[in-house]
Amino acid sequence: MPQDEHKEGIGGMMNPTRYGIERVAYLLMRLSGLGLLAYFVAHIYETSNILRGQVGWNEFLELTQTTEGHLFLAIVIAMCVFHTVNGIRVMLGHGGVGVGKPARPDYPYDPASQNYRHKIGIYSSIVLAAVAAMYGLAVMFGE
Amino acid sequence: MRESTIMKIHYGTALAAVALVAVHILMRLTQNFAESLEYESVLANYKFIPYAIMLELILILLAVHGFNGLRVILIELKQGRIYEKAVSYGCLAAMIGLIAYGSRTIIMTNMGLV
Repeated sequence: MPQDEHKEGIGGMMNPTRYGIERVAYLLMRLSGLGLLAYFVAHIYETSNILRGQVGWNEFLELTQTTEGHLFLAIVIAMCVFHTVNGIRVMLGHGGVGVGKPARPDYPYDPASQNYRHKIGIYSSIVLAAVAAMYGLAVMFGE
Repeated sequence: MRESTIMKIHYGTALAAVALVAVHILMRLTQNFAESLEYESVLANYKFIPYAIMLELILILLAVHGFNGLRVILIELKQGRIYEKAVSYGCLAAMIGLIAYGSRTIIMTNMGLV
């Protein structure tokens, strides 16, 4: 089968510069989801170390309670907040909230659903994620 | 199961998890962060039955939401009857495995089998 020269596959789909902030939000939503799932699995394994008793727990805590561990946790906090806030935006959008009313498509065919309300929602989720990560760092390092 | 039903479960588990994870994180902030992670403190959390039930609920909600999310991402990347079935059953198996492993920690610690 001849390769379609316009078909860029996953690379094209992932190009954040071509389709605006909505595509960036789509990508960040999936990346943060995968990151959080990986963290969740690791967290379940980490907490299972309590079954090894106090020595086992303290040994594992020494591995995670480091500067690198705190920085990693700050990234997890940012991913968690972004995923939550943007997820609520997506749920509201799926429910028809903030996507505008159906209208005749006229040139230049701007999608009514990609409006300022949802753009504000995306930017807010990014800002809130950054603020939460900084707060997390202040709590973890401020001891 | 219909995809529309699965998406309702996906959103339902997300909203419930947000509320419970917020409580879980706030519990870390009721005392000094490092102190809250000390062995005795964590053990006391597990032995407090309402908190242990909440941890179990978080485990189930996040495992269902997380592995369904992974299933959706994998099905977005590639389609096909066999592939989709393999992804769906693989994610279901991983979800059950993670819930079983996490439940083992919660139950054994709560019952004092440490």
